[in-house]
Amino acid sequence: MAATPAAENQSRRQPKNGGPRISLEMKMLLPVLFLLALLSLFPFLYIIFMSFNTVSMIGGISFDFAGLDNWTRMFTDEVVGAAWLRGILYFLATVGLELVLGIGMALLVHELVWGKNLALSLLLLPMFMAPVIVGLLGRFLTDGTYGLYAWFLNTTGVFQQDILGTPSSALLAVILMDVWEWTPLIMLIVLAGLSSVDQATLEAAKVDGAGYWQRLRHVVVPAVSGIVVVALLIRSMDAIRYFDVIFITTNGGPGNATKIIPIRLYETAFRFFDLGYAAAIGLGMLAFSILVANAFVAILKRRGLAR
Amino acid sequence: MWRQFEGTTLNFISENTAPTVAIAANLDKFMELTGIQVNILQLELGALVQKAALDIGSGEGSYQVLYADPYQILAPYHEAMADLNAFDGDENLPSIDRGIGDFIPTQLAAAGRFENEERLIGLPYDCPTMIWMYRKDLFEKYGDRMSQDLGFDPTPTDNSTWEQYYRIADWFNENVDEIPYGTGHQARQYDSLMCDFSNILWSYGGDYFDNETVGTLGTVDPGPCVLDSPEALEAAAFYKKLLGIAHPGSTAWDWNALDEAFRAEQVAMAPNWHEFAAGDEAPESAIRGKVGYARLPRGPVKSTSMWGGTGLSINGESPIREQKAAWLFLVWATSPETMLMGLKSEVGGGTPTRGSLYELPEVKKAMEPPSDLPNMLTYDAVSKAWDPENIGLRPKIPSWNECDTAIYTEVSRMLVGDKSPEQAMQTAKRYFDEAQSRVKTLASGPATSGRA
Repeated sequence: MAATPAAENQSRRQPKNGGPRISLEMKMLLPVLFLLALLSLFPFLYIIFMSFNTVSMIGGISFDFAGLDNWTRMFTDEVVGAAWLRGILYFLATVGLELVLGIGMALLVHELVWGKNLALSLLLLPMFMAPVIVGLLGRFLTDGTYGLYAWFLNTTGVFQQDILGTPSSALLAVILMDVWEWTPLIMLIVLAGLSSVDQATLEAAKVDGAGYWQRLRHVVVPAVSGIVVVALLIRSMDAIRYFDVIFITTNGGPGNATKIIPIRLYETAFRFFDLGYAAAIGLGMLAFSILVANAFVAILKRRGLAR
Repeated sequence: MWRQFEGTTLNFISENTAPTVAIAANLDKFMELTGIQVNILQLELGALVQKAALDIGSGEGSYQVLYADPYQILAPYHEAMADLNAFDGDENLPSIDRGIGDFIPTQLAAAGRFENEERLIGLPYDCPTMIWMYRKDLFEKYGDRMSQDLGFDPTPTDNSTWEQYYRIADWFNENVDEIPYGTGHQARQYDSLMCDFSNILWSYGGDYFDNETVGTLGTVDPGPCVLDSPEALEAAAFYKKLLGIAHPGSTAWDWNALDEAFRAEQVAMAPNWHEFAAGDEAPESAIRGKVGYARLPRGPVKSTSMWGGTGLSINGESPIREQKAAWLFLVWATSPETMLMGLKSEVGGGTPTRGSLYELPEVKKAMEPPSDLPNMLTYDAVSKAWDPENIGLRPKIPSWNECDTAIYTEVSRMLVGDKSPEQAMQTAKRYFDEAQSRVKTLASGPATSGRA
């Protein structure tokens, strides 16, 4: 009697000696997995270890067990708390603006009949720049002495103060620099989603008399919403650890207006060399990233787009 | 004696400053003399501190020669620096040309030692100092009107006060169209802001610690911070008032940006680093020949000028043969001949830390305009600033990086209106004391495990 497919699968999973059977594919993957674990797990465990120690670099690296000191300090440190709040504000502003502008740009580019490739190439240019270059460019353009934007805002009377020297404008400036660089990424991902919208459904809606906004709301948006969540997930992970542009332009100032948590982490680790405390702050950032990622994955699951 | 380490390769890590640019341009002379290859890595100060700290912490000692900022490298890592007396006294090695006494004493104290007067761990290498740079042409043009309006002669002298500086700046703001603002400052939330503020803090009689040797010899335990003293509060209030009429770009400018603004004729005067004179007097500069140099104004107590010099140190973690080869480099790089070469260098060059060089006829001649060595135009101002009673030395303590961040952050918050002078100084004091307490624990607490 021939075995049923289910029974065949069962027999494949059962090794002769009764223990777990490792497939050939898994055997081939094992060396790489081991290397990956070594490269990522060891530093991760080391950072956890550091977060429970006072790490000194005076006279060579040494560890002094500190228990939960670094962790309790992190939850009571007003500078870190304020940096978190500013970071969340920054995170919501950048990701929100990039989402709105990215979708808008994607819809516009999608409608282009000619010159689409040229427009796309030009619009994508900012995201190919290294963030540190974006920071330098932003710094030069907003410089009160020779910056083009500063000159324009000043001569038109729109803004007479120094852009990076005033708290509100400095925060807005670094947000806009990030938006300028990364909106094209959202646009690109949404554009890919738009090209997969079922044309027959769109045509049918058109025939039924649906206008542009109705088609957008009832056909296009539901079709691309999953991919928009993926785009947001990618950008969110990046926005949480935003560092380069702020470091180059404002160094967290003026008056701490742009000091978000990665800047404080940098100061703690590489200016104060308080590595144990920096490890705790870094792990806090990791936990926040995991929470945000899980929130997005939960949304995708609800939509049946992730397992 | 000079060729005994031929074939050795040394790594010199330095801030990207004018003296190192000049050294790099003349490195073939050292190679010819010793047969030692020197690789120079030039970085921005923050990156330099990180790399040096990580190298020392790792115990590798791969950078044998360190540009040892007295506050950010020498103080926290003084134990890792080699004692240079051992090399200077070694009869098989060349000793310091003209002796250690040829270095300007205050600079030797600040850049060369930590806590222990006997242990020499650095040789003074550069000496940027803050002075009052002003547009001489504008002061001459408007001097009479200013005198009439202000009731005093505005020409900067050793007796000019910060209050007068404020009034002159305000007068320029109100009366002169050809330049946008009277004064500009390096008040970005950065190290530069601490430097700018400290001049006023000291001149008002305030200080960071009530400890006489914290600036010169340095200490692990300077005692409690005194930034909440009445003098410090008065200084902070004045600084806030002064920045209130300064070029609005000041809160975004570090030292480089301030000098660029000065050169771009954005401000009539500024407390500025004296070594920027070389760029300001360069042929392509719009303000060449128009700049005057004076000591910083006096406060109610004194006139103090921030000294931002650095020494060269040898990494004690490096193998002894490499340390000896590094000693040859130190002797050469800080020798009077090399410093004179640096001063004349077409690619930059700093100001000598050797007293004897200022006695040379060609250097003396360059102290008056027109000068081939523009940094020497500032000599009258800086030489007085280097006197023990005038030099501004920030605290040389292991926790300085954290304290520095605390003071420039709190002053920045004060400038943008987040905090009053009292709140800013009290918060800074609290952070200073907390940082001191943590570093003291680190320095005294037993490590449970050995070196990693």
